[in-house]
Amino acid sequence: MIRLPALARSTHKWLALFVGLQAVLWTAGGIYMTAVHIDIIHGDRLVKAAPQSALALTGLVEPAHLAHLAPGLKSARLETQLGRAVYVVDASDGKALFDARTGEKLSPLGKAGAEARAKALFAESGAIVSAEYLTKAPLEMQTRPVPVWRVEFEGAWRPTFYISPYTGELVTRRHDLWRLFDVVWMLHIMDYDDRQDVNNVLLQGFTWLAVLGSATGGWLLLYSFRRRRRRKAA
Amino acid sequence: MFLVRTLHKWFGLVLGLQFLIWALSGAVMAILDHHKVSGEHALLPVAHLTAAPNPRPLADVEAAVGAPVITLELKPLFDRWVYQATTPNGVRLLDAGTATPFEVDAAAARSLAVARYAGSAQVEAVRLVEDSTHETRDMVRPVWRVAFADADNTALFVSRATGEVLGAKTDTWRLWDIAWMLHIMNYGDRQSFNHPLIVTVATGVTWLALSGMILLFRAFRPSDVAWIAAPFERLAARRRGRARLIRTPSAGE
Repeated sequence: MIRLPALARSTHKWLALFVGLQAVLWTAGGIYMTAVHIDIIHGDRLVKAAPQSALALTGLVEPAHLAHLAPGLKSARLETQLGRAVYVVDASDGKALFDARTGEKLSPLGKAGAEARAKALFAESGAIVSAEYLTKAPLEMQTRPVPVWRVEFEGAWRPTFYISPYTGELVTRRHDLWRLFDVVWMLHIMDYDDRQDVNNVLLQGFTWLAVLGSATGGWLLLYSFRRRRRRKAA
Repeated sequence: MFLVRTLHKWFGLVLGLQFLIWALSGAVMAILDHHKVSGEHALLPVAHLTAAPNPRPLADVEAAVGAPVITLELKPLFDRWVYQATTPNGVRLLDAGTATPFEVDAAAARSLAVARYAGSAQVEAVRLVEDSTHETRDMVRPVWRVAFADADNTALFVSRATGEVLGAKTDTWRLWDIAWMLHIMNYGDRQSFNHPLIVTVATGVTWLALSGMILLFRAFRPSDVAWIAAPFERLAARRRGRARLIRTPSAGE
């Protein structure tokens, strides 16, 4: 008959053989994800706080006129961009940007327009390194829409802004701390394709193996601290 | 190696339970369907208004808001177009057709929630939540909590300021949230996972996992893998035997 301590030991050993490396990735990655504050990862400090300046409403294009500028109006927002009042409009033809004083259509933004918006939103002083027009979303944009202007700045951790050519809005921002977090997250949830699916079979299998692995470890503890006492007693 | 073994044992004694809790809560979160957890299945997309907006002029908006306007939005809200103005004193909501304040009261919150609810159950209760609760911790408050009498105890949350449906919480989410609490070791508001306790424990458990990996190199003996090696060895032995058989007659000549 197999002795219980031997059974505990060999179960623990064999489970550890399969989940050991993943357990190291889970815990070491966990240190990074918990030690670096999530607001830093999200790049909150890269973006200037929105200015609280009041809009001068007199003399602007009336909202009632927007349906003519953009047929099939779904919604519109009046705001300040680069010191000028603009309408960000969502209509049947998609999103668009209009000068709120003249009604002139400003979108799609060209390179200079996107760079100016990025520069105005960037909270640090670094110069623009590159500005690219992307029609295919890079992995780090996740599910956000294209086309988009990718504007990279000089500065720590390669800060990068994604500016929508249609609305002038900051779609998202990335930097190397986020990019590293994303790799750690990929290893954590074991989804090596698009790094989003937390319900994949591999993760489900490995987490239960880890449950068994640590439970048998606990079982093994029952025997691990007894030997010395016994020897003393003898 | 003895030191590694001792350390593995003691770290296991002190921190092993947390590793078990991490594995178990992780397993639960991996099983619960993320689409159900996020509550997106309980919500219908925002319906488009067929009626074109007939918004009042900006001068009327300025007069009705009575405060400097930082941004102004014109958007459909279920059955009407509204103006949503951001001011230094907070958000103001106006009926766009009349430029009069539109208050998201309990009755309005109820109909706004019913319009976005994907199920068919009745509304059970409508209640204003001003505090940060487990359900509302990530929302701009106060919010109306509109509870539906369905199997998953779905509740929709409607912002009192903007009338927008901020999300849906279900029993699936509530179970997930307990696993999340255990996973991030934040037993209070369950929000932040950037705290000294978890960083310290994670560092200790990393050593637990790493020392376990090191011990694996010593843990396996030839007898452990015998059952894997055995068929190959038997095969090799048979081949050797056959070779002997073939060789024997020639040796006899």
